Amino acid sequence: MKNKPKTFFEQQLEQVAESSPLKAYHYVHVRQSRAFIEQYYSERVELEKMAAAAFMSRAHYIRIFQQIYGVTPRQHMRSVRIEKAKELLKAGLSVAEVCFEVGYESLPTFSKVFKSGTGYSPRAYQKANKSNPE
Amino acid sequence: MIRIHVTSVPVDNQEKALAFYTEKLGFIKKTEIPVGEHKWLTVVSPKEQNGVELLLEPMAFEPAKVYQKALSDAGIPWTSFAVEDLESEHQRLSELGVQFTMSPKVVGPVMMAVLDDTCGNNIQLVQML
Repeated sequence: MKNKPKTFFEQQLEQVAESSPLKAYHYVHVRQSRAFIEQYYSERVELEKMAAAAFMSRAHYIRIFQQIYGVTPRQHMRSVRIEKAKELLKAGLSVAEVCFEVGYESLPTFSKVFKSGTGYSPRAYQKANKSNPE
Repeated sequence: MIRIHVTSVPVDNQEKALAFYTEKLGFIKKTEIPVGEHKWLTVVSPKEQNGVELLLEPMAFEPAKVYQKALSDAGIPWTSFAVEDLESEHQRLSELGVQFTMSPKVVGPVMMAVLDDTCGNNIQLVQML
């Protein structure tokens, strides 16, 4: 594998990576904050704290995060919560239990966010996945 | 509302493709419907069985074969799948005999690798870091 010539695709990737205006420390800090979101998705996480943990101002942090991942930290947090909610609904927890477990304090808000993220209400999603024979 | 329910990879042989995508990559067959000399054959991720289906589409259009081969020769992936732990997935697949045209590599916010699906395509695996 080591002696294999690099493909055109791999060469292009390296060129793109080298020409990125972002520095290595940007990636390191923002990756850490992303990992933080994935760990503490069920808690009320303030953007200011996440930005401070990444050694950036709030505005700079949001901009760099979006530049790297294509979504804002809040959008990412929402996605993480929806993914976790899908797992818990499949596991058979009630909609209310899932709502609180993933960090929402209001059932209507949770249902609305879940539906906009998946196309299904939490109850419909649970029903569809329970009825799947596999 | 319009939603994405299927995407596809062109394959030179549907039976061979089904074996590769299920036995090696770990997908599950979802639908198999005869259509003329071919079939509507889809697979899904075991974790998203009601999610987007991947159509293993017979490559029967000559000009498209030229395009597919050009991509393949350049190492360009036809499509991309997400994994949670790329290094362990790379090891698992290598042990199953899957050939990688690009080993796991960190590129910005992701780690990626490219494998040969044996049906004419490069497939990218991506782990978000």
